[in-house]
Amino acid sequence: MRIQDYEPIVGRGTIEELRLLAARLTGKVIQNVNSTFVGGGVAEILSHMVPLFTQLGVDARWNIITGSEEFFQVTKKFHNALHGRAEKISSQDFAVFLETSERNIKESALYGDILFIHDPQPIALVRRKKDLGRKWVWRCHIDVSRPNKEIWDFLWDFVIQYDVAVFSAPSFAQQLPIRQVLISPSIDPLSDKNRELPAETINSVLNKYEIDSERPIITQVSRFDYLKDPVGVIQAFELVRKAMDCQLVLAGGTASDDPESEKVLAEVKEKAEGNPDIHILLLPHNSALEINALQWASTVVVQKSLKEGFALTVSEALWKAKPVVASAVGGIPLQVKHKFTGLLSHGVEGTAYAIKQLLSNPQYARWLGENGREHVRRNFLITRHLKDYLLLFISLDHPGEVIYL
Amino acid sequence: MGQWFTHIAQNWSNLAVPLILLLASLVIGLSTRRFAYLVLIRWARRKKREEGKIVARIVKTPLLIWWLLLGSYLAVQVSELSSQWTALAGQALGSILVISLAFTGIALATRLLQFYLGGGRAVSQTISLVVNVIQGTILLIALLLLLNIWGVPTIPIIVILGAVILAIALAVRGIAPDFLSGLQLNTESKIKLGDYIKLDSGEEGYVTEITWRSTQIEAAEGNTIIIPHSKLMRSAVTNYGRPPKQAKEPFHFRTRLHLKELTGLKASNLRELVDRLKKVPDSVVYYHTHHFLEEHHYLTPEPPNDFSGWVSDVLGDEVLEERLASIDTFEFPTIGALRARVIGVIEEHLAKGQDLRTAPEGQEFYFIKSVSVILPTPYVAHDLREFLEVLRKITIHSLYFHIFEAKLRLQRGLNDFSIWLEDSLEEKELAEEIARLDPYTYTLETLRAKLIELAEERLAEERLR
Repeated sequence: MRIQDYEPIVGRGTIEELRLLAARLTGKVIQNVNSTFVGGGVAEILSHMVPLFTQLGVDARWNIITGSEEFFQVTKKFHNALHGRAEKISSQDFAVFLETSERNIKESALYGDILFIHDPQPIALVRRKKDLGRKWVWRCHIDVSRPNKEIWDFLWDFVIQYDVAVFSAPSFAQQLPIRQVLISPSIDPLSDKNRELPAETINSVLNKYEIDSERPIITQVSRFDYLKDPVGVIQAFELVRKAMDCQLVLAGGTASDDPESEKVLAEVKEKAEGNPDIHILLLPHNSALEINALQWASTVVVQKSLKEGFALTVSEALWKAKPVVASAVGGIPLQVKHKFTGLLSHGVEGTAYAIKQLLSNPQYARWLGENGREHVRRNFLITRHLKDYLLLFISLDHPGEVIYL
Repeated sequence: MGQWFTHIAQNWSNLAVPLILLLASLVIGLSTRRFAYLVLIRWARRKKREEGKIVARIVKTPLLIWWLLLGSYLAVQVSELSSQWTALAGQALGSILVISLAFTGIALATRLLQFYLGGGRAVSQTISLVVNVIQGTILLIALLLLLNIWGVPTIPIIVILGAVILAIALAVRGIAPDFLSGLQLNTESKIKLGDYIKLDSGEEGYVTEITWRSTQIEAAEGNTIIIPHSKLMRSAVTNYGRPPKQAKEPFHFRTRLHLKELTGLKASNLRELVDRLKKVPDSVVYYHTHHFLEEHHYLTPEPPNDFSGWVSDVLGDEVLEERLASIDTFEFPTIGALRARVIGVIEEHLAKGQDLRTAPEGQEFYFIKSVSVILPTPYVAHDLREFLEVLRKITIHSLYFHIFEAKLRLQRGLNDFSIWLEDSLEEKELAEEIARLDPYTYTLETLRAKLIELAEERLAEERLR
């Protein structure tokens, strides 16, 4: 995508402001580091943002660390533990993490003027700060509102070495001696996952998966992960189905750094077995167009997560002006303002109730959907995300609450 | 000499008639000339047609010449000159007639074209070109007539000229629409040098030059835009007229973008909310009473502050929510004063012994502060018209900065627009009108529309003066 392609969506003034900000970073190299180039929200957003930074004239680059299967299983445990889930983490796990981190510290080329480190996997790279200097930013994409204390205390020693920590929602803020910035993630409205699709494309996807386009469709799009509560969604759907004719679509894939997905998928299939109205779709990594089509085709979109970093799928659905029912966790309340841009729920029964409300009142559903789309245009598109990162990078050299450039 | 007198005395009857004819033509010519001149002048005055006066002045002298030529011709015909001399005299008189007609025609065409197309003012390039073409055509026709009179074959010349004219016509056919459109624009005189115009396709600026093909305008950013006349004719053009008065100092538009910083502080009930509110920096209070303007302005024009929203959505206290929502942010000159009012309302509510409700886990009130980054934009206004045009283009962030941030957070007491309008442009009334607006009762886009409306009204008043 080209940066000027966003002008019809966000307006010329927004793009002009991005260029004004980018000009202030001339000569600086922004080095992004995370754990994988494919799979998951972080890789997806970086794959869109790094080229756009470059088009704006910012020298932005992207590298990954390396690690064994064992290392990624340990970091997955860290991930779950930070989300507040009970995890048994042994001293051996910490040892694997530190050993792999030490190797990455020695072998990684860290050349950026600003080192932008994403999530816990590469967090230890900050140990190089003593000899390299530069500015270090830790970008946390996880819901750490109720982190496992042991893991958080372990990571805290690394976090406080950074100049700034970035979180996705206010409730993720911690007691830290360093600056903490709130930057919500975003969607790319021109990507295959979000652009408008012709009816033929949407229908072809529905036909492929034998989903009836004539009946209401309830959809949740997420990785097959316990924290997304796909079984809870099925339970809510079954409550709705008792009163109203509809179908459920659970569509998702896996991330290369998430070994648990297969287990979750098997449980979901078992729960849905024998019900012709439930469609479980395991989609590969390059299914952006199909996910897009499923969201466009949906009558109601659900995101019944138990824990979330941000839940980009919610913004994807809102962008398509779909009425959304979502849990009030993580970054979801920033996207779904209850009764204005969607409906928030707190359990299986609440989710079922909200879905029934929307299926029974299509006008209200449409009003919510349109508000949701406008809310995303103003606050959760990639251009706003670019702006926030540019402001963050600029603020690293300008302390104070009012910065005059 | 004596022989001359003898010759005249012997042939006086042969000379008398031609002389009488000559004298008669002179007398008639003088009378006709005076009569025609007076008739035309009176007609022009009665009908208020300036062109009548133009014609009268131009043909006054040629009219006498033409009568003299007629008289001379008749005199030659009745004289006893040989046929050879008679023919020669006829050719000479014919040549003089053609030349005088040509010059009279050129003078008439030039003056009348200037009158109809240029309104009597300095002519534009288009009119000059048309006049030159007509002058050339008349001279060409006169030349052909002269050649014909003296027996030079003109058919080959006409054929060659026809071919040349065809070739020229084919070469210029592409620019003919621009030329003809320019002619029509000159006739209508709707656009003049120095006018500020705006096309429906977006180009706008001051008219700096009008050529026979195009009009050049200088835009606010300093660019020169060349607009072919054919495009100008096809477009809806708004002409704002001459430049309005210039400001003592130009207005440099800035924009303000902000970063949200988490303080790590939170409150789960009203007591904690008040305790934290007393200690957090102004930037926190500012964020929670203003961020809604930019992020949710499409939902409602009246921004509920975050405190009232949290009290309602999470604590379920509608009475306190109403009291907090009705705090009129506009009346406070400083954030400190606003903070004191919010604290006062909550403490008053607590003093009534209301239940101290607690927010569920994860739904506490999280204190966030706003870090403003203010940067210049390329937009500068030197007068009210440029100010208006930039108002249409700036982002809501720029508008927000000059209206809200300047007044409250930077404590300038007034919004930036009112300060500039009064101090630099001496537009006191407009400045006060804008200062009186309560911006918190508008969405940012409806506020922009209101400012544009006020500026347009003021400009319209200026144009009528």
